Amino acid sequence: MRSMFLIARREYLEQVRGRAFRMTTLGLPLVFAIIIGVFYLASMGLGSGKHLAVASDNAALANDIRTRLLSDKSAKAIVDVISPATPADRDALLARVRTRDLDGLLWIDSPQGVVPEATYYSQSSGDFIGIARFNDALNSSLVSVHLTAAGMSQPDAEAVVKGVTLKTFQVKKDGQIVKSSAQASFWKGYAMAILLSMTTMIYGMNVARSIIQEKTSRIFEVMLATAEPGDLLAGKLIGVGAVGLTQIGIWLIAGAAILGSALAAPILSGEYAIHFSPIEVILFPVYFVLGYLLYSALFAGLAATCETEQELQMYMPLAAAPTWLSFSLIVLIINDSNSVWSVAASLFPPTAPIIMFLRMASEIPPAWQFAVSIALMLLSIWGVLWFSSRLYRVGILMYGKRATLPELLRWLRYS
Amino acid sequence: MPIVELVAVTKAYESKVAVSNLSLQIDAGQMFGLLGPNGAGKTSSIRMMMGITIPDSGAIRLFDKPFERKILERVGYLPEERGLYKKMKVLEQLVFFGELHGLEAGEARKRAVDWTKRLEIDDVLAKKTEELSKGMQQKIQFISSLLHDPGLIVMDEPFSGLDPVNATLLERTLIELKEQGKAILFSTHRMDQVEKLCDSICLIDKGRAVLAGKVREIKASYERNRVIVEFEGSASFLNSEEIAEAKNYSGHAEIRLKEHGNAQRLLHEAAAVATIYRFELVEPSLEEIFIQTVGGKADA
Repeated sequence: MRSMFLIARREYLEQVRGRAFRMTTLGLPLVFAIIIGVFYLASMGLGSGKHLAVASDNAALANDIRTRLLSDKSAKAIVDVISPATPADRDALLARVRTRDLDGLLWIDSPQGVVPEATYYSQSSGDFIGIARFNDALNSSLVSVHLTAAGMSQPDAEAVVKGVTLKTFQVKKDGQIVKSSAQASFWKGYAMAILLSMTTMIYGMNVARSIIQEKTSRIFEVMLATAEPGDLLAGKLIGVGAVGLTQIGIWLIAGAAILGSALAAPILSGEYAIHFSPIEVILFPVYFVLGYLLYSALFAGLAATCETEQELQMYMPLAAAPTWLSFSLIVLIINDSNSVWSVAASLFPPTAPIIMFLRMASEIPPAWQFAVSIALMLLSIWGVLWFSSRLYRVGILMYGKRATLPELLRWLRYS
Repeated sequence: MPIVELVAVTKAYESKVAVSNLSLQIDAGQMFGLLGPNGAGKTSSIRMMMGITIPDSGAIRLFDKPFERKILERVGYLPEERGLYKKMKVLEQLVFFGELHGLEAGEARKRAVDWTKRLEIDDVLAKKTEELSKGMQQKIQFISSLLHDPGLIVMDEPFSGLDPVNATLLERTLIELKEQGKAILFSTHRMDQVEKLCDSICLIDKGRAVLAGKVREIKASYERNRVIVEFEGSASFLNSEEIAEAKNYSGHAEIRLKEHGNAQRLLHEAAAVATIYRFELVEPSLEEIFIQTVGGKADA
């Protein structure tokens, strides 16, 4: 026990004092902030500043579309109206699209008494935001023009077209009703899941790297003469895990300080209201510890069978597969966070930490599901530790050759 | 009281028998050499003594008790595969190993400073291990195995990689420790050091002990059939019937006598044709015994 504590303390101090710890503690949230900022700024500019043409026989419709597009300040578009438009005009306009004189052409055939047909031409098919703007403007204009033609006044027709904006509130289990945004909740859950998977993987990898370094520096022989292999492995897992918890602790404290400041007031009450429930704050470190123990125990076993870091890296995509699987299930979770598949994935130990946080973004799952998922994770950690500690015990003294599968099975038998 | 006692210890890996039925005993105040060619089973034997691996059969007793991990706090171990934490500062590293061996941090710190002064490297205490030369790192590792004042010191190739000055410093330290009553086991390929330092040896080959006992007695048990002659005059006596093999280096001859060759007769023959300054009947060296015993396969 004393050896385990000393090994854990050494591992902890060496990593916490290292430059990498300072860099990731400051750098990871900074990188996140930059990514979100860049994404936000880029999305503001998407589909804007374009030179477009609307061509139709129906001048009222074309002009209405133009007005709507120009009224969208973020679009910053230049819109030409060609009405009436002949097939010759269409060829000329298409030629301008080809030469990029025009970014896009909306051609509308609206013969009397028939549902109009609209076609959009452009050189780029990827501008989904621009196309969505066109679609909105076209549909709103069609309804508005039809209603006014049927005798409705322009303001009444506009009121019908404009519709109503849905305000969303979340009813908490304690009866509290708070303003919420599905989009903001999703991004919050997504960000927490990414942070969780990154820290789990980073610290799991740290354990593996540390084992490889000790193996190549031949220090195990000295260490094994003073401590048992089990103490060595446990000390390493505890020490590195404590580094991760320290980092998460710093982030939580910094996060709480930022959220408590005046700067965060608009975030907590505005359109994109984000709420952190106490259960999320408590479960984040819990799932970090469980996820970390599961992955680091697995990586420790793998590392003991490897000779170099390069060799270890070959296994990493395989070991990281459950994390990828978790994120690939994201659509399933958004669609219904309480479906059988969502619940099953949040109970399955390798995917549980990430899926739980994605589910929590929409709704806090019932307590029994947390209990079962934590119990299953503890059980699988025990299983992986059993397996890995046996590989570790033999592997750390094997130098100079790569372990084959039959050899690994023999190692399990030896220990 | 024997400090180390191996009784019929055997260890096999798959089809290869690393150590077979090995028995040996080391007493307090004794310097013991474990010798053998590469792959003979020296490191396997040491690893079992240190509890790193477990024997398939036989018994290991340390300090007159069956092996238990707690006893390792009284053992200092310098393995053949050296290893230190490269990013750690020397003093922190020594304190860490001292604590692992049961010392309090303050005491470990004090002893680390004393030992580095004794081995003339106290100026590196604040440096990171990776900044030190290989020889200095070896001295640090040497200290880390002695910091907790062990009653048994086990050293696998302790002098490899050291320059003659530092090798002598470590030799002197080991002799002092032996005089303090510590039991010292070391494995080496350097027969000159074994001859100089060890009281007893065990030579193992293919996992089996092929020669064991006190160095003095082992050497005495071999026939004195080597003669060193320093002379001036004719070297014709080197063709004598008594000689099996002779090398002449301008007045210094090294001679191996035939199986029942008579040294006295050879002396007469030599004195008849040359002036003899030295005529010495010598024992075979440990190196010769080593090569002879393991059939010339040793790479020592």
